[in-house]
Amino acid sequence: MGAHMSEKKYTKDHEWVSIENEIATIGISNHAQESLGDIVFIELPSVGNLVKAKDEICVVESVKAASDIYAPIDGEIIEVNNTLENDATIINQDAENEGWIFKMKISDSNQYSELMSEDEYKQFLEQ
Amino acid sequence: MPFAGFNMPINYKTGIINEHKNVRNHSGIFDVSHMGQILIENKESYLDKLEKYIPLKLKKLIKNRSHYSFLLNKDGGVIDDLIVSNIDIKNKSYLYIVYNASRKKEDEKIFISCAPNAEKIYNINCLFAIQGPDSINVLKNIIDIPNNMNFFDILISKYNNNEIIVSRSGYTGEDGFELSIPNKSAENLITDLLKNKNTMLCGLGSRDSLRLEAGLSLYGHELNENITPIEAGLSWALDKERLEDKNLNGNKILSNQLKNKLSNKKIGLISTNKSMLRDGMKLFDNNNNEIGKITSGCFSPNLNKSIAIGYIISEFNTDNTIFCEIRKKLELVKINNLPFIKKNYKKNGSTYE
Repeated sequence: MGAHMSEKKYTKDHEWVSIENEIATIGISNHAQESLGDIVFIELPSVGNLVKAKDEICVVESVKAASDIYAPIDGEIIEVNNTLENDATIINQDAENEGWIFKMKISDSNQYSELMSEDEYKQFLEQ
Repeated sequence: MPFAGFNMPINYKTGIINEHKNVRNHSGIFDVSHMGQILIENKESYLDKLEKYIPLKLKKLIKNRSHYSFLLNKDGGVIDDLIVSNIDIKNKSYLYIVYNASRKKEDEKIFISCAPNAEKIYNINCLFAIQGPDSINVLKNIIDIPNNMNFFDILISKYNNNEIIVSRSGYTGEDGFELSIPNKSAENLITDLLKNKNTMLCGLGSRDSLRLEAGLSLYGHELNENITPIEAGLSWALDKERLEDKNLNGNKILSNQLKNKLSNKKIGLISTNKSMLRDGMKLFDNNNNEIGKITSGCFSPNLNKSIAIGYIISEFNTDNTIFCEIRKKLELVKINNLPFIKKNYKKNGSTYE
């Protein structure tokens, strides 16, 4: 509490990222959740993995399709949202809060600033 | 999404799972107007020609009954699967055939070659399916349905002074009806049906998960030109006497298959964890030998697990463990008899499977 919570940013692959004390929290956007439809399963990443931006991190399975989730920035996976393992529909209910998927310790904050703002993401969706 | 040249909804507002459950528990309405519908005059010369492709005794079809059947190529492979019905329209006897949208070109070439004046009616008639245990109650308020109408019975009824074709059928494993209705009355009919608060519009997604739970084959997945109905586990739909008829395409191959062991068999599969089984995934035995492939997979809302249909080599003993390759990992899956759910068809007022 009282820490610096950054503005939420978005990737072209429909992940959202917010940063607090150099820890990034990542999930999929509400738009992504809507287009995937009912989510039935998520394969969570392993804590401790070092990943690079654009790496495939984990997979969300909906009734329609399997969808890869990519690392938005370089860093180390330090926590995953284990409650999703039992109930992946939390992502459908609240994709951008309770439905967060993993947390990363990030190594390059410039990568974060290059991501889209909420307004830019909205424009991106309209294209 | 684009589907056989049509823009079709995968689901409506409430999502695939909700639509699926509504059909199993109440009822749901599918717009299947993309499917082919054709009327072929019930003339002996036409039927003779059609019998080369369709493994039924077309001249002996009972009036007001429907039959699940196929168009067969010269090797007995399935050009398409379809429903053939014998009905009178305006005092004239017809075969009314409903076939897959993705196979219109291939099917119609055959229909027209056999019966040059065959009448495609899908441009003037919409086709709707209302499926689920409440379908009869939803429909009875709007259209006259005789109490003794059984599953696969078909008749002409009236709606808004239009003649409509009503069959008690569908592809979900539930009781239900299909309605072929002139375009101009279609919207009114849907509005009337939706006045019942327990019904809802359903899209392609739940249509697929419902038919998969019911173990029903889908063209392009379980069926194609290189698979015979026997290989697809559908020999029950063949008229066995027709297999002795040289006039029937692939008759020798089919009667041999019926007597001998097949190289592949169709199976049902259930995921043992939360992974989703999907079309095209490979199946392995516990010595890492590839033994088959999944042809359809989905999430089953009734079982709360992923289910699939596939083909494996016949020699594989289904008591042994079987693995599915999911994202480069082999995961244990369980063989399950088809269908995955009990069917709920109606005969003489009672339910049968």
